[in-house]
Amino acid sequence: MKHYLVLILNFFLLTASSTLVWGAAEKAEALEKKIGNLDKLSGLNYFFASWYNDNMWVYALMVTVIMGAVGLLIALVTDVLLKMIGMEVHKIEHHE
Amino acid sequence: MLDMFNVYLPIAEMQFNALILVAIGFSVGVLGGFFGVGGAWVVTPALNIFGFPMAYAIGTDLAHIFGKSIVATAKHRKMGNVDMKLGFMSIVGSVIGVEIGAQNVMWLTKLGIAGPVVRYLYMFLLFGLGIYMLYDYATKDKRAAAQAAKVAEAARAGLAPPVRKSWNLPPMIHFPASGITISFWTVSGVFLFTGWLSGLLGVGGGFIRMPALIYLIGCPTAIAVGTDLFSVLFSGAYGCFTYGIKGRVEIIAAILMLIGASIGAQIGVTAVKYIRGYGIRLLFAIMIILAGSSVALKQFNLTTAAAWLVMCAALGMCVVIMAKLWAGFKKEHAEKAAQAGKGGA
Repeated sequence: MKHYLVLILNFFLLTASSTLVWGAAEKAEALEKKIGNLDKLSGLNYFFASWYNDNMWVYALMVTVIMGAVGLLIALVTDVLLKMIGMEVHKIEHHE
Repeated sequence: MLDMFNVYLPIAEMQFNALILVAIGFSVGVLGGFFGVGGAWVVTPALNIFGFPMAYAIGTDLAHIFGKSIVATAKHRKMGNVDMKLGFMSIVGSVIGVEIGAQNVMWLTKLGIAGPVVRYLYMFLLFGLGIYMLYDYATKDKRAAAQAAKVAEAARAGLAPPVRKSWNLPPMIHFPASGITISFWTVSGVFLFTGWLSGLLGVGGGFIRMPALIYLIGCPTAIAVGTDLFSVLFSGAYGCFTYGIKGRVEIIAAILMLIGASIGAQIGVTAVKYIRGYGIRLLFAIMIILAGSSVALKQFNLTTAAAWLVMCAALGMCVVIMAKLWAGFKKEHAEKAAQAGKGGA
């Protein structure tokens, strides 16, 4: 328990001042833009562009979730494919 | 003829070749999986060369880095190359360091010297790290022989083998996955420093953290690669979301790059299995020296040449990594076949 308290105290000392600096930091500017001619788009393009115009927070959330989901899906599929050709991986020994 | 691969990017409102995006993603995926870096230093100039709008370049790059890091980290974890405890510490330390670095850039900007300071520091760091790692590679046998001689001498004199000196200021933390016990202050200081450097230079920091994990923390090379990717995963997610809010992510382009990168990352990670730690370090040293040369060219306003250099270096390194993977795979296959033959006999 004492060990953890020391750890937390040390961490607080190390981070307190820099967190204040972080809070005051100037952030990068947003791109103030709306996509014109939504009527010309269809399917996925329309879907993404309309959310981009309507609510940037939802768009950002969507992008993050899609990237994670596509990443996971491809990881699973390629893992199966590599296993099929005999390139599966297991725990390795670390040689320098 | 390649126009048939053109796709419409709804956020950037333009046509762009899907093959180029998949190919850039693939090559950065191989490098990322193998070296444990995000690879923004290759993607941004490559997108620039092919006329991708720069307003979306960094955000789109970060979005695909997030997806790719999931693929690569999952595979590294399977291979026992991710030290989660160390990874979480690196995330906290790096976030704080990055923000301090960003504040320092603002201060330098006010003084009107941010551009040259950042560029020269970047070059110094890339060349310095690269040359140090080459030196380390060149002298590894000599150092190993000297250490063995010391141990043998101590054994002859009936003494305990010499212990490596280290800074043991409590509290000490044990990282079982890496097999190291190290002072909390050392770990925090190293991550704060690497984070500060990446904030100051405006880069993801994977290429700084990976050697720091090896040389300053003492991780085995493969664990440094896997753990660094684990940190890149979180910084990529944060970057993807914040750049998304700012409207700077072109989602279709990011998905196309992610498809290439995910396949590339699988290849890069698998190659780690067949190449020893010092081999990874050697290739990494060559890669960052070439990246440093590209920054030097940029300093002389040779922007196009700089972008081509870094892109060709990335492609060349991909070929080397894939060739090593293929050679390792064939060797392993032959060994398995020989063992099976012996068992049968």
